[in-house]
Amino acid sequence: MRLLSRLAKGYTSLFECTQPARLAMPAGSSSGSLAHALARRGLLIGWGTAAFTALQGCAGATARQRGRAIKIAPGVYMVAGSGGAADEHNLGRIGNAGFIVGERGVIAIDTGTSYAHGLELLAAIGEVTDQPVRVALITHTRPEFLFGAAAFRERGIPVRMHSSTARLMASRCETCLKTLRQTVGEEAMRGTAMYKPDQTFDTSHELDLIGRPVRVLYFGHSSGPGDIAVLDVGTGVLCAGGLLDEQRIPDIQDSDLAGWNQALRELQGMGIARVVPGHGAASPASLVMTVQHYLGQLEARARSLVADGTSLLNVSDAAELPEFASWDQYDTIHRRNAAIAFLRFERDLMLK
Amino acid sequence: MNSPLPLPRRAALRRLAALALAPSAARAAPGGIPSATHDASSPEWDRLRERMFPGRSLILGQGTVQVIAPLRAAYGASVPVKVVSKVAQHPDLYVRKLYLVVDKNPSPVAVMLDLTTAVGQADFETRLRVDEYSHVRVISELSNGELHTDSRYVKTSGGCSAPPNREALHLIGKTMLKVAGKVRPGEPTAAEVTVVHPNDTGFELNQLTVMYIPPHFVRSISVSFAQQSIFEADLDFSVSENPTLRFNFVSHGPGELRAVVTDTKDARFVGTLLIG
Repeated sequence: MRLLSRLAKGYTSLFECTQPARLAMPAGSSSGSLAHALARRGLLIGWGTAAFTALQGCAGATARQRGRAIKIAPGVYMVAGSGGAADEHNLGRIGNAGFIVGERGVIAIDTGTSYAHGLELLAAIGEVTDQPVRVALITHTRPEFLFGAAAFRERGIPVRMHSSTARLMASRCETCLKTLRQTVGEEAMRGTAMYKPDQTFDTSHELDLIGRPVRVLYFGHSSGPGDIAVLDVGTGVLCAGGLLDEQRIPDIQDSDLAGWNQALRELQGMGIARVVPGHGAASPASLVMTVQHYLGQLEARARSLVADGTSLLNVSDAAELPEFASWDQYDTIHRRNAAIAFLRFERDLMLK
Repeated sequence: MNSPLPLPRRAALRRLAALALAPSAARAAPGGIPSATHDASSPEWDRLRERMFPGRSLILGQGTVQVIAPLRAAYGASVPVKVVSKVAQHPDLYVRKLYLVVDKNPSPVAVMLDLTTAVGQADFETRLRVDEYSHVRVISELSNGELHTDSRYVKTSGGCSAPPNREALHLIGKTMLKVAGKVRPGEPTAAEVTVVHPNDTGFELNQLTVMYIPPHFVRSISVSFAQQSIFEADLDFSVSENPTLRFNFVSHGPGELRAVVTDTKDARFVGTLLIG
């Protein structure tokens, strides 16, 4: 477990030019569980990318190279974030972005963390195609997905999100931005500001903008009140936003757990071929089950701690779930999830 | 026993809150994460303690009172904080008052407790909002006038604040009392009082209207057993949603455990539990 955990961290720093030799250690660790198997596969995909990055030559490994597009399927690309928590090294660029290229234009999915990051994502798109970006979709209300919008809007690209995402953003993101400036530094955040979306919507719909069908999926309040996933119908690639993270603890803070589970059940019936998660490596559709498994285990543990009358002081320790200990942000997000889930189930009892 | 809290105390709490709203000089440098030792003071606390306890000395590090809080709080909106007293509640010497302070909060004095000897053991547990990296302090005033203190530097994991919960507003004020385990006459018994209440700070934006939700929080909780006061608590909005207090009380036979709660809209709620 420890080894895996260390490796997960190695994988994170991969985008900062880690030598592939160091990354080759992990294969020995053993475990029978599905989660582990998936975890390892995820890591291996990560190493592949790492080795590739390293081959490009460390000396020239600029932020620009880190932000290069990875082809997931014909016309569908992902630009990988670093994972981890925002800091002055990763500049807060911890989340993935994606884009879909059609005959008549490009749909960008998420905008990055800052104005500068948004510019880099646009450059990454520009390296793949000359088609104009028609719209930038924001999948959910997290800084690493929405604060790059200024770069897109400056080029006249409308930024589009669910109305609940817009409301949650208006109610809290000023503070998030302030925190982010403190964490990653003013320089990295220059030109980044709060904004209102150019377009909002309330339900699932198809976007007929770029000459290939792209579906915006809204399941109601799931991982967040306005969280969406974006499906490229032709290839079956799902950009999952906040609904799915890979090798990273899903954050339940904004969630409705029942709604999230329902959304995951619906996703299972959609014939998804491949997933671009909010954080982590591109994955097979089985990622849906992996996230379901985590949410199920978290809920079961939190409910039993409430039933036992556990003090909140002991909840985060008592909610350890070792099978997920190798996941990114286990020490922070999982502990917070445990406290939040505990408080919610406790409140349910109060309201009975 | 259910008499309203003396007004001067209320006024004092408000003045202290107003004082602390003055802009803080100690801000983290950009790119830097603030840090401090557990026993350290802070500019906020230096000013506040002069207002709260002018000219009086605070005794640190004798273990008379201890504050327990997670060093890395999992969830800033509800940080569990426990106070443990080493002084038994004996009429000759007992803990008369407890103050809980969160230095960096807009209203740092979170809880003021007036205790009687009937708590048996002056241990309390509650949950506080801790917005920034901050010291959490307890000040224990003994019946001989001594002030003892202890503090912990609490780091809350960053991230975005959760959207406020606005379900079941019709249940606001529902007050529940619980007793953990068996009641042994003459010995401190652990109990808990919880009030269903949003405890709105006034700093939160309504997502629908994008207007500030006006402050609305629990102001006081007075607990008695068999018509004898156990403790009276003055609370502020640094206390988390659905305020809860774990405490002790000593019973000498059957009686009614009773909690009387008031909030900032002058609503009054009562919860009771028959013991024995």
